[in-house]
Amino acid sequence: MSGGANTPVENLPGLPPVGEHGALSCGKELSFPPAAEARFQKLLTRYPTKQAALLPTLWIAQGEWGWISREAVDYVATRLGLSSAFVWGVVTFYTMYNRAPVGRHLIQFCTSISCHLNGAEEVFHACRKKLGDLKPGQTSADGKFTVIEVECLAQCDKAPAVMVNGDDHARITLDNLDAFLSELK
Amino acid sequence: MAKVTVDGRTVEVPGTANVLEACRAAGVDVPHFCYHPRLSIVGQCRMCMVEIEGVPKIQASCTVPVRDGMVVLASSEKALSARNATMEFLLINHPLDCPICDQAGECKLQDNAVAAGLPVSRTVEPRRQFPGYDRTDIGPHVIADMTRCIQCTRCIRFCNEISGTGELSLIERGGHAFVWTHEGKALDNEWSACAADVCPVGALTTKEFRFRKRVWWLDKAKSVCDGCEIGCNISIEHRDRTVYRFLPRVNLAVNDFWMCDYGRFRAEELNGNDFTRPILRAGGKARETHWGEALDAVKAAVDAAVAKDPASVLVLGSARLATEESWLLAQLFKGTVGASQVEFHPDLGPERKIKNPAVPGGWLVGREAAPNSRGAEAAGVARAGKGSALARLLDGSYTPEVLYVADAEFTSRVSDPKFVEALRRAKTLVVHGRRTNPLTEAADVLLPVASLAGKEGTFVNVLGLVQRFQLAIVPPPIVRTDLEVLLHLGKRWGVFDPQWTARAVFERMKGTVPGYAGLEWDSAALAGSDPSASPTSAYDVLLERRLSNPAEILASAAEARGARAAGGEK
Repeated sequence: MSGGANTPVENLPGLPPVGEHGALSCGKELSFPPAAEARFQKLLTRYPTKQAALLPTLWIAQGEWGWISREAVDYVATRLGLSSAFVWGVVTFYTMYNRAPVGRHLIQFCTSISCHLNGAEEVFHACRKKLGDLKPGQTSADGKFTVIEVECLAQCDKAPAVMVNGDDHARITLDNLDAFLSELK
Repeated sequence: MAKVTVDGRTVEVPGTANVLEACRAAGVDVPHFCYHPRLSIVGQCRMCMVEIEGVPKIQASCTVPVRDGMVVLASSEKALSARNATMEFLLINHPLDCPICDQAGECKLQDNAVAAGLPVSRTVEPRRQFPGYDRTDIGPHVIADMTRCIQCTRCIRFCNEISGTGELSLIERGGHAFVWTHEGKALDNEWSACAADVCPVGALTTKEFRFRKRVWWLDKAKSVCDGCEIGCNISIEHRDRTVYRFLPRVNLAVNDFWMCDYGRFRAEELNGNDFTRPILRAGGKARETHWGEALDAVKAAVDAAVAKDPASVLVLGSARLATEESWLLAQLFKGTVGASQVEFHPDLGPERKIKNPAVPGGWLVGREAAPNSRGAEAAGVARAGKGSALARLLDGSYTPEVLYVADAEFTSRVSDPKFVEALRRAKTLVVHGRRTNPLTEAADVLLPVASLAGKEGTFVNVLGLVQRFQLAIVPPPIVRTDLEVLLHLGKRWGVFDPQWTARAVFERMKGTVPGYAGLEWDSAALAGSDPSASPTSAYDVLLERRLSNPAEILASAAEARGARAAGGEK
């Protein structure tokens, strides 16, 4: 990938490498289905410029397709009259846009200070181990679970806190981890 | 206008100026990276911190608009310590390997580290690395090394606001952020090397110049690009009789801060002559000779032809000749010799564009592939139209005795053998040339001439501005400039003196050539800005007062910002 320190100029690849920070392809053309399109059109009326609607539009895209693929970036960029590079820069700035497909349940463990003090790290590790030695961000083989670590969920009074997709779950400890996971279908 | 006091000095600046510009107008150094007179303000680098009276916290001066009566403390202890701290933060992740970095010598991080940084580094931690994004191509002309990037986003703003192509973006966030294109798309636009120009560090460098020469060895000559009729002001950067690169010189009326890649990478084409002695060809045999014999042969052929019929001599000038040279050509052949046909053919090329807010429409467009068709016309060489002598020569209805071609590359058609065959029908073919092409191969008398780097003179650009280009490197021995060739030739008719310089010719012709009346050879208007005001150091223009008109740049930056604000920035 890299030119590397000792690569002669004439042997460089000519095109910039995509690298690990590039967008993944979902392999098909995307466009908003009618319901999403309606929401998108409504969004546009709420902002002074199209660019200002980028974050919620990406949110619609993620809601529709589960993650932001290269095709989604290009589609959103075209719809909003922005460059794909700009859209990808925004996607990579925010952590809540998924840059790879995620499982049905995106389990987000808070490991910020309150949860950390209440043993969130141990629960996080135990949970990953239980679901098949998943690495952070990895999806289980059955496509059901993705486990990630996130910053504060504003549930410090109920630490350790976990969020599954959009729902809060309070006080998930080593003791009730099994019960918690079994509730997730 | 607003009155602003900076470190005790009061200056008046436009109301749309920012504090940074006010400081610079007052001659106070405020180091910075992300500010550029022609790009939008982002306050990204946090280097330009100053103290403002009545404002409790230190401010990034580029982000604060001036206010009438504002008092700025740009060099207070508080401001200096803030800048010091910023510098230290910037250096946390910047490799300290200036000796192997090609930007060294024109690197703003280097300059500011010396000027505003601590004398020693306190970090012992390893620098951040960008495997896969270091020292690799990001486009056809630009090599990116993200380990050196300080995230000033100038290149991104250049691509969004000037070229309008938007290839670049800041990927990831915070300490992981780096500049890249999306999905393997190349940084490929007509001005891509300007992104390397505006880069204050060695993160973007041009492939063509990288590791060719240390910049402090380069001598700079003020010149004008001859790639198209726009006439971008350039600095020919050379050393040891070799041209290494062109950099744009700031000219607010013409190329602003920019130049196109096509023009820029013509630089090394100026090096070398394919032949360094006049060549006479007779009976299919070519032999090298000396100037005396070659020019005598030209005179004999011309005299013999004119004695028979003045229309039997065809002189083809060129829009690539300086106005002085075209004037000599017209004076000699039309005036003295009495040849009736002295003309040049404007060579249409691909359209070149330069963004310049001072031009109506915002873009300066060049359609002709040569720099000086207006100058040639003003000097008395006729612009060939329909029914020109050359057209008649090509369709076979006219055969000159002598064809004098003052530039072997006067049109792109010279590479067409059929075209050259038609020209070859002249009994005697005289050609000024530097590079071997079908036309020089066919010439009876081939006169070796210098490149743009080896001569001086003036061009008249698309806007009608007279711009002077200066000598960069003395041409190799024996080779002469077009001007010298014409002077020596004119001497044979007793009208010119070979001692004349381009300046002497300029003084002689300026009374009669339209557009040249009242111009002064030495004037700043003709010479343009100093090479050190090129975009690599452009943002120091205001400070270092290297440029003759810093106030003008300041005002234009403020004005452009005002216009953007009024137009509702996206």
